[in-house]
Amino acid sequence: MARAGGSGSEGRGGGVKGGSVPLLAWAGLQVLLGAMLAIWSGGMPSLLLIGGAMPLVVLAAWNQGRAAPAETRLLPGESMPVAVLAIGIATAAVGLTAGLWLVLVGAEIAAFGAVWLAREMVLERRWLK
Amino acid sequence: MAVGAPVALPAGRALGWLVGTDHKRTAARTAVVSLGFFLLSGVLALVMRAELAQPGLQFVSDHSYDELFTMHGSGMIYLFLTPAALALGLYLVPLQIGAADAALPRLSLWGFWTYLCGGLAMYGGFLTADGAGRDSWNASIPLASSTNTPGVGMDLWVIGVALAVAGSLAIAVSILVTIVRRRAPGMTMLRLPVFTWAMLATTFMVVASFPVLVVAMGLLLAERHLGGVFTGATGSIAYQHLFWFYGHPVVYVMFFPFVGAVAEVVATFSRKRFFGYRALVVSLLLFTALSMAVWGHHMFITAAVQNQYFSLTSHLLAVPAGIEYFDLIATMIGGAILLRTPMLFALGFILQFLIGGLTGIVVASPPLDYHVNGSFFIVAHFHYTLFAGSLFGLLAGVHYWFPKATGAMLREGLGKLSFWLLAIGANVTFFPMFFLGFDGMPRRVPDYAPRLGDLNLLSSIGAGVIALGVLVFLANVVVSLRRREPAGKDPWGAQTLEWWTSSPPPRHNFESLPAIRSYAPLLDLREAAEAWPAPEEAAAKEGAAA
Repeated sequence: MARAGGSGSEGRGGGVKGGSVPLLAWAGLQVLLGAMLAIWSGGMPSLLLIGGAMPLVVLAAWNQGRAAPAETRLLPGESMPVAVLAIGIATAAVGLTAGLWLVLVGAEIAAFGAVWLAREMVLERRWLK
Repeated sequence: MAVGAPVALPAGRALGWLVGTDHKRTAARTAVVSLGFFLLSGVLALVMRAELAQPGLQFVSDHSYDELFTMHGSGMIYLFLTPAALALGLYLVPLQIGAADAALPRLSLWGFWTYLCGGLAMYGGFLTADGAGRDSWNASIPLASSTNTPGVGMDLWVIGVALAVAGSLAIAVSILVTIVRRRAPGMTMLRLPVFTWAMLATTFMVVASFPVLVVAMGLLLAERHLGGVFTGATGSIAYQHLFWFYGHPVVYVMFFPFVGAVAEVVATFSRKRFFGYRALVVSLLLFTALSMAVWGHHMFITAAVQNQYFSLTSHLLAVPAGIEYFDLIATMIGGAILLRTPMLFALGFILQFLIGGLTGIVVASPPLDYHVNGSFFIVAHFHYTLFAGSLFGLLAGVHYWFPKATGAMLREGLGKLSFWLLAIGANVTFFPMFFLGFDGMPRRVPDYAPRLGDLNLLSSIGAGVIALGVLVFLANVVVSLRRREPAGKDPWGAQTLEWWTSSPPPRHNFESLPAIRSYAPLLDLREAAEAWPAPEEAAAKEGAAA
């Protein structure tokens, strides 16, 4: 595990600000193309286009005006529980075709990984204090 | 100016390569695994070309051939090019923007493991009684229903695709948030290097389109087991909308990072600042926005989409693409061009992708698309974009950044040999396919009319040359790593921040950073040093002149 400082000294709070404009510009273009399709033919395809832009609008709104964190940031050096969680989810997913028993095994592994991950993150926060 | 003050805590090293969260390690793992899937999928292509070398069935059954082209296409798209492109971004973006690490490192680690599990699930289908997935990389309904394609192998394919795509999505989110939130002081959005802009545009498409495929695969699995999800003709069309909403943007996900890589290579080896930076930024945003609105051109023949709209948006792509080509060529004009291996691959990308792009105009026109749809013309078109284009762009990037990642130079002679083998192989393999398509050879069949035998044989010979080129590249990597020629910090005289730090970079990337005043900070420093040399340098120059 390691600590890294915030990314800079610009902006309120010390970090670099900005970055939302390209997200909004791109999402705006997509909404425009979706609206054009909606006017032309309507239906589900235009909803796909407009809906697809939403994650970026949300990210842009969240980021707008927020400086990057200037305080010391904790960086995990390695994280075994993340791999356990991923393997558990994948096992459960494969269980959807192999049978309920594998879904349960996978869910158990994933739950174990999730608890382990939570513990790892709590310990990190304590170490930082 | 320091980026941060990292403090290392005791950490086990044995598992570091498997579960380390350093963005460079996650990226390296993803790249190595994707290379493995590339080789596997490439072997499948060689078996296919062996089968197609002559008319009549020689090596595999119809059923096996279906598995081969499905797993070849799926492997190359879901398991090789997309993750490799994202791995390149995950490695380089934090370095290019002066960040100590990537944002959300656990998420990218989760992405890697999920992607790996997805790939293993997809290939695991070969171990089942009915074999692996066999409905092509897009698995259309009703072909992919449990009635028409029964078996666990196809289920594993569906689950594997969902996992692999979810993993790629997680890696992309990490890259996106890194660019938005972790830039170094002075690194404004209009000072991002060209490659980072290309990655930003790429992640926009990933975030907007990849979740749709994960949902589509979930629904397809439900359809196979429960039924009633994609029923009738409207169900089939609904699935196609969902699939191609992902399926077209992913082509650009496999292309844009390499445009960025090629742009960096061209600027460095032309000894010039990249031409038309702002125009390129605008064209990237326009290109990626339009790329989300062209999926319907894959469905022209269904008569269920607004052909005029999708034809218009598809043709409009030529505008930003033209701007990018103009910028690349203008960067070279007047430059002192060095034809090193990365530059050769970059030029190969520029020339060969142009063939893929221009033939894309054909399939963007409904009347022409009606003729070539489902034929080998399409196979030629997308192999010119993805193999002769994207793979050459990837190799330009690999040869360019290999010294940074490993601290060792790749051998120039072997690099050039692999370039020529791959360039000759790609064109001998894929160019005949345009004629085969126009002559009526359908794709996805193991047998064909005898009159098409000569061109198919030529194409199969080309595939062998490609395999040789790949082997030479692998030999180059092995030789260069075993007998290392140290690279130093900046062996190319490059322009962007990753070349400021050591090769390979330390855990937190930088000990210090130079002032960032443009998208080419190292070039700024060199130009400033030439304009305002240190007193002793100026005296030495004057002495030499005297």
